[in-house]
Amino acid sequence: MKKYLFIAKSQIMSNMQYITNIFGGFIGFTLILIILFNLYQYLYSDPNELINGYSMHQMIWYVIITELLWSILGGSKMSKKIANDVKSGNITYNINKPYSYVGYCLASNIGDLFLKFIFYTIFGMVLGIFFVGHFPNLNIISALIVIVISFLALVISILFITSIGLVSFFIEDASPLYWLYSKFILVLGTIFPIEFFPVFMQKILIFSPIYVVSYGPARLFVNFNYVDAINIFCAQVIYIFACYALCSFIYGKGVKRINVNGG
Amino acid sequence: MAIIEVKKLSKTFKVKLKEKGLIGSLKAIIKPKYKKVEAVKNISFEIEKGEVVAFIGPNGAGKSTTIKMMTSILYPDKGSINIMGLDPTKDRKKLAYQIGTVFGQKEQLWTHLTPYDNFKFFGAIYDINPSVIEKKIDEFRELFELDEFINTPVRNLSLGQRIRCEIVASLIHEPKILFLDEPTIGLDPVVKENIRTLIKRMNKEYKTTIFLTSHDVSDIEKLCKRVIIINNGQVVLDDSMENLKYHYLNKKLVDAKMKEKINLDDEEGITILKDKGYNLKLEVDITKRSVADAIKLLDPDKIIDINISNVPLEDIISNIYKNKE
Repeated sequence: MKKYLFIAKSQIMSNMQYITNIFGGFIGFTLILIILFNLYQYLYSDPNELINGYSMHQMIWYVIITELLWSILGGSKMSKKIANDVKSGNITYNINKPYSYVGYCLASNIGDLFLKFIFYTIFGMVLGIFFVGHFPNLNIISALIVIVISFLALVISILFITSIGLVSFFIEDASPLYWLYSKFILVLGTIFPIEFFPVFMQKILIFSPIYVVSYGPARLFVNFNYVDAINIFCAQVIYIFACYALCSFIYGKGVKRINVNGG
Repeated sequence: MAIIEVKKLSKTFKVKLKEKGLIGSLKAIIKPKYKKVEAVKNISFEIEKGEVVAFIGPNGAGKSTTIKMMTSILYPDKGSINIMGLDPTKDRKKLAYQIGTVFGQKEQLWTHLTPYDNFKFFGAIYDINPSVIEKKIDEFRELFELDEFINTPVRNLSLGQRIRCEIVASLIHEPKILFLDEPTIGLDPVVKENIRTLIKRMNKEYKTTIFLTSHDVSDIEKLCKRVIIINNGQVVLDDSMENLKYHYLNKKLVDAKMKEKINLDDEEGITILKDKGYNLKLEVDITKRSVADAIKLLDPDKIIDINISNVPLEDIISNIYKNKE
């Protein structure tokens, strides 16, 4: 465990060398929120009106959290990194070290998003206050629980994207798979809560990764209750074990097929 | 007892084929064709503890594939590898603690971190106690003369400085065997010499077994006492450097500058390599003729200057590659 903490720490230290890149990402994040803020203003004729159980303020906070989780993740870079390592042969240095490669990917990616998690969260909260004027009804304990569940949501996303990246062992370029995954999360899990979709879809979405990677944490933030928190937490723990096992399985099969370019 | 045993090792790659042009690209998508490339064919060798062995061959000979199978990066199709009683395909993690690897064309250091932070990182992943890591860093700092740049981010280092750090990163856990895959590639002669001195010192002071691939003959000549030559995936020569020179250095080169033009033809054991009138270059096969015969043939009275030298090791190795093809 200690070595994985060191991997995460080294990644954080490495990212500190170009910390200003994080602030550049705030521009895109703000633009998306301005667009969505206007969309919700158009949908809600009265800010106190409830649509599918959500007020306009809740909807804005909901989308801030889902957008935060997506922006912090930077999944495209993550997926490409494994594919590039396989193509360039740089993977050689990662697979003959005394650690689990999946554990290495997880630890380095957690380190990679650690600073973004802090800065984006602060920025997102400031932006939310600017748009809405006040925080949702959360006390310190519930806020901490939401932070933990948001962090676990990112861990699950990392594992999902790592599993997609690991498919590069078989097909060299896994970017089409990542594209499908990102659009799935964006369309069904970012802009609108699950309650906005037809009933038959809600039943499917509640069992999909969207429940644990975007809807769950955002829903808790805007409408916290302990029962939902426990349900989401348990589902996340199951997902983490299942995704880790999936990554290890793909890696175990893929590493035997590896063909390092240039010998 | 051998520290490395490689027995009847083989590896075949499946390579995708593509016909030329856009139509070829489309065909490759619809009906992909593959060919099998036998990178390594049934090779066997053993290496003793503390040996410095050159594993050489032309591009595509199978050197890197063999090294990558020995370091548990690639899985062999056939045969077995035993490194200190461990099987690289099954004991990947255990083996990692026993070996170090430097691939000259790849980077293992974190480019945004300093060498010091990198060494701390490598120490941690090999479960070394922090106080022991500090001692090791101090030791290597002196041995590899790292003081000047140990706190400079790796991205700002010169290639020579980076390679020195790559080697230290591979040694931090005191591996028993070090695999060096073209460690001096792209370096200038001074830095190359520096790296060679360090490799020698490492072998002497830590008794590290060194398995080296390089296209630079000086690396091989100055570092290794044994040479394994591989070509087309097969071992074509496995001998000591001394024997290699003894058996293959049976030719001498005679460069002569003449007072006046002389006409010579090839004779048994003497080959005219270059004839530019006043400047001649002859190759003498000393198993058939003596150097004195060649000088007599030139007429000693007409010689202004003469230079007698061995055939460069590089040419010997090239000839071995060609003859075994």
